[in-house]
Amino acid sequence: MKHSELKNLIIGSLDNESDNNSVVRTLENEGISYDFRDGFTESVLQKIMADTDIKARETDFLRSMRVAFNRIAITGVAAIILLLISIFIAEGSLTLNSFLGIGDTFDEGIISMLTGY
Amino acid sequence: MKESYRQTDDSELVKASIAGDKLAFGEIVERYRRMVARTVKGMLGDSVFAEDIGQEVFIKLYYSLSEFRGEAKLSTYIQKIAINLTLNEIKRRKRFFSMFSQKGNSEMYEFEVADHESEEKRDSGELVNKALMSLDPRFRIIVTMRMIQGYSTKETAEILNLPLGTVLSRLSRAQEQLKEILEKL
Repeated sequence: MKHSELKNLIIGSLDNESDNNSVVRTLENEGISYDFRDGFTESVLQKIMADTDIKARETDFLRSMRVAFNRIAITGVAAIILLLISIFIAEGSLTLNSFLGIGDTFDEGIISMLTGY
Repeated sequence: MKESYRQTDDSELVKASIAGDKLAFGEIVERYRRMVARTVKGMLGDSVFAEDIGQEVFIKLYYSLSEFRGEAKLSTYIQKIAINLTLNEIKRRKRFFSMFSQKGNSEMYEFEVADHESEEKRDSGELVNKALMSLDPRFRIIVTMRMIQGYSTKETAEILNLPLGTVLSRLSRAQEQLKEILEKL
């Protein structure tokens, strides 16, 4: 096809009512066809599988983190409960003074301890 | 590809792909790769970027298949993804070139033709691609849909989510611009 004919075909293909399927066929016969290179489908599938692997690994990592966190949290809560029980048994209450270990100390006792009189 | 999928319709392929059947998805890629190539290469030229965008289209499709409700045709859904990604790439290129070039609107143009093609056919391909690449991207997308994909104006409006009137006016302006471009080529 001459360039002038091709140009007319291109311009004509933009008319509102033109049958463009025949234009597409004519262009394809002229060697103007579009496709991706060989192995395109395989590359797409490989990329998807690689992405899926990464996502699966990320999910595994997050799951392990959650299990580890749960274990640490449960152990921590158990330790706090044991500490509270032991303070209660030793001091007889759970006030701030009991926590600081000065539950049965009177103010006068502290003054005499600090001043030595 | 698995021979049994050749006759399977799109909705079944979508279901199988969502269930994790990679071969079913491979059949979708095989079925629509040329359609995507026409949009992407028509808009970006025949370059390595176009191959990358083409792959991105199908990867995006794979991860969004669960959102596909089957109200529109699968081809329309894929076409919309291809158009969005291609337009994003054109915007990205414009930004990139505006940083390094005084003109700011130049686009990288690459055109590769297989060696075995005759000189005449290579010239025809080059002529069409040069003309397309010289068009304003707003018109280029419409011309690609009409001339390269063969869609009607109504289908073009539907795919691009534009009113029919807008498509018709852009087509007429694209035709004028194309006439000027082709005179110089």
